[in-house]
Amino acid sequence: MTAAIDDKIQSHATAKGFTLTSACWMVVGTFMGLLGATELMAPDLTENIGWLVFGRIRPVHINIVLFGFVTPGLLGAAFYYVPRLLRTEIYSEKLGVVTVIAWNVALVAVVISLCMGYTQGREYAELIWPIDIMVVIAFALVFINLVMTVKNRQEPVLYVSVWYVLAGVILTATTYSLGNVIWRPNSGALVGIPDAILLWFYGHNVFGLLLTPLAAGVTYYVIPRVCRAPLYSHTLSLVGFWALLVVYTHIGTHHLLQVPVPTWLKVIAIVDSIAMVIPVMAFLINIWFTARGKLGEIHADIGGKFVFTGTIMYFFVSIQGSMMALPDVQRVTHFNNWVVGHAHIGVLGFAGMITLGGIYYVLPYITRKPLYSRFLADLQYWLVLIGMVGFTVVLTIAGLIQGNAWLNGEVVYRILPEIHPYYVTRAALGLMVFVSALIGLFNILATLFFNTREAAS
Amino acid sequence: MYFPYFISYITVGFAISLVVLIWAIKTGQFKNQQRARFLPLTEELNVSAPKTSRFNRLETYALFLLAIAGLGASAAVLIAALLHGK
Ligand code: HEM
Repeated sequence: MTAAIDDKIQSHATAKGFTLTSACWMVVGTFMGLLGATELMAPDLTENIGWLVFGRIRPVHINIVLFGFVTPGLLGAAFYYVPRLLRTEIYSEKLGVVTVIAWNVALVAVVISLCMGYTQGREYAELIWPIDIMVVIAFALVFINLVMTVKNRQEPVLYVSVWYVLAGVILTATTYSLGNVIWRPNSGALVGIPDAILLWFYGHNVFGLLLTPLAAGVTYYVIPRVCRAPLYSHTLSLVGFWALLVVYTHIGTHHLLQVPVPTWLKVIAIVDSIAMVIPVMAFLINIWFTARGKLGEIHADIGGKFVFTGTIMYFFVSIQGSMMALPDVQRVTHFNNWVVGHAHIGVLGFAGMITLGGIYYVLPYITRKPLYSRFLADLQYWLVLIGMVGFTVVLTIAGLIQGNAWLNGEVVYRILPEIHPYYVTRAALGLMVFVSALIGLFNILATLFFNTREAAS
Repeated sequence: MYFPYFISYITVGFAISLVVLIWAIKTGQFKNQQRARFLPLTEELNVSAPKTSRFNRLETYALFLLAIAGLGASAAVLIAALLHGK
């Protein structure tokens, strides 16, 4: 079968724009992470430089990684695969380019405002009201473009990736508005415990209703293509999709198990955190069965390799997450570096790996040129993998030391020297990830602008 | 009074999901799932499969080393726990 549309006349400007956005902001985001890690190791490093203190660098790091690196990269791939799966063109490349520009303006505003100390002080919802509005508008523009593409489709059936990306974008626009309490521009918050509940409803939805669906969308597209095999089961993929929507939305309160929120809500959060096994395994079984016997093909394709590794990390982070929602486990793991380890398997190991995989998979198609250097992409893969696995090991050990010490009544400052070696190792690993971002940016820039070779067809 | 926000959000969310689900059933999104499996493959793979690099062999050794290191660390923990844990 052939495509109904002529690929030659398509500019793929939006996909290119989002891809480049992701590659550039990965450098900024990982640099901020490295700087933060260095400050934890040497707290006096940025003494008297107000805009570089840890309290400002950390929110810049997480916001840029989430909204600058991972989300745009996954959207870049989506702007390529959604029209192809629907056998049509993207509704408006112009609107797409405007969105990319608006997105980047918002990201610049994020860095400047947070470094200047303008924050609403709620985790993952730090951004001040005007930027909140920019973020919501940017997601709304993406949604309009994608939904109009769906409307103009020639393929009647929506493949599961399309379901995931549409849901991810619109649910984020709404939960972002709600979680950032945008109807109260000054504080961006409710008052007391209800605020914490609302914040973590939104906070967990950033991972569950933004990163996870967008990454799942890319995976469901890339793995069958790389394996040159049909998806194991489309029905199972839709079961996983609806299960994700039903279950993920209820689990935010597992971040508040040691807070006086109503017990019934904690029970729902814990039960559904365990029930997350259903959508997670529905997704993984489907992907792994599609890839069965095709590991050679996956290994040969750099995009496929990143994406497949991301699925393995998804397994680990989700199983770990379900365990962490158990109160007995969380008594040790809460409020220390264990959670930071978990966060990095999730955002870097799962979503970040799949972002890079999506970018490397679509890049030859949107530029109609081969990747500038497979060697550099492989190098980046290994730097990210070793950095990420290393983070997990050292942060987990540091977390266990902290958690057990505090349970035994030890005071914080006596534990700090004990975890210092782990902080040093962590910063060294962070350097690897930062270097990998530089390599990736170079490779992507070179493919987009300096590569004179034509793609073999 | 915070719960009116929550209840209205749940209601709106539920209503929209229901509308989408009904639309999906009506437009036959859940029919012909066999064909849907092939949707990513319905166009040509017009870029040749990328070549593997000289990194490949190194990679195999590195993966092997990583696995050995992981297993070694686990064994060390186990032995230390057995010898010293009382
Ligand atoms: C079944 C799936 C998952 C479950 C049940 C789960 C569970 C949890 C729990 C219970 C916590 C809170 C830990 C604490 O504060 O003690 C947490 C934190 C976190 N999770 Fe997950 N997780 C899952 C998957 C993921 C995924 C896929 C990602 C990323 C894409 C992720 C990213 C994070 C992050 C970034 C935090 C840190 C939040 C903070 O700043 O405190 N998780 N998770």
